[in-house]
Amino acid sequence: MGGQACVFYGAAQVSKDIDLVLLADAANYERLLTAMRALDARRIAVPPFDVPALERGHAVHFRCSAAGVEELRVDVMVRLRDLPPFDVLWDRRTSFADDTGITFDLLCIPDLVQAKKTQRSRDWPVIDLLVNIHYRENAAVPRPDWIEFWLLECRSPELLVELIRRFPTEARTLSPRRPLLAAAQSLDRDALAAALDAEVRVEMAKDRTYWEPLKRELEAMRLAEARGNRP
Amino acid sequence: MIYEQLPDEWKDWLALTPIERFRESEKIFANYLAMGGTLDPDPDPTSPFYAPDEWRPGIAHGRAGLRLLRRGAG
Repeated sequence: MGGQACVFYGAAQVSKDIDLVLLADAANYERLLTAMRALDARRIAVPPFDVPALERGHAVHFRCSAAGVEELRVDVMVRLRDLPPFDVLWDRRTSFADDTGITFDLLCIPDLVQAKKTQRSRDWPVIDLLVNIHYRENAAVPRPDWIEFWLLECRSPELLVELIRRFPTEARTLSPRRPLLAAAQSLDRDALAAALDAEVRVEMAKDRTYWEPLKRELEAMRLAEARGNRP
Repeated sequence: MIYEQLPDEWKDWLALTPIERFRESEKIFANYLAMGGTLDPDPDPTSPFYAPDEWRPGIAHGRAGLRLLRRGAG
């Protein structure tokens, strides 16, 4: 998931780290830790590698030091805000294979967009690009679930107007879930852009609310670690 | 930003296959590291994972032996 998935989909050109979402399963954790040992990775920051913490939504951060991956950071999560459990994400994944037989399993674009709805400003232009790329690649053969995804997640004023004109029935049906679909055509471009920004602020606030108790927990863990490390 | 508004360089990027993008990204990244880029995440106070005392300020341009001579405005 994360930046590397965005590279595959075309919404980014590089990513400095690797973000993994994995099945919360004892055998799987052991495989992860074996892989981390092979990368000579050590856990950095809090929380510790703790299954209940992961299942509450925390991310565990590693930094590698094996030759060729020195300093590479790997972040691991098992639960993502407002996304279904791993098995559902896995069923919906997108897989690419290279000519050596390596398979890359990625969050599908709609799930990646949801995962990117964070309080970080830099994630939102990526969402915009992901939706635009998905529309451009699939506009000729629109599926009902894709039309819904485009209408609910589009962040470009121009594309939003185009989508509402092209799919007016679906836009009307979905407008209770996204009131902007009903208002967009009566707004000029600047007003529409401002309304889209307002939607982003609401989502950022939701993400902050979600993380608030987890951040308090992180702070307590930091303090506990600092006390434990004190000579 | 809709596709038509993207710079040509980005349109070229989108014209690649996903695997080609991944391979090109590896090359870009290798160049970045060869030029002294660092893998440390950029400090992001808006991230829930950000802890100021855990961010390592690093070396100018990320490589030992390079020092900052001049920082541009802004």
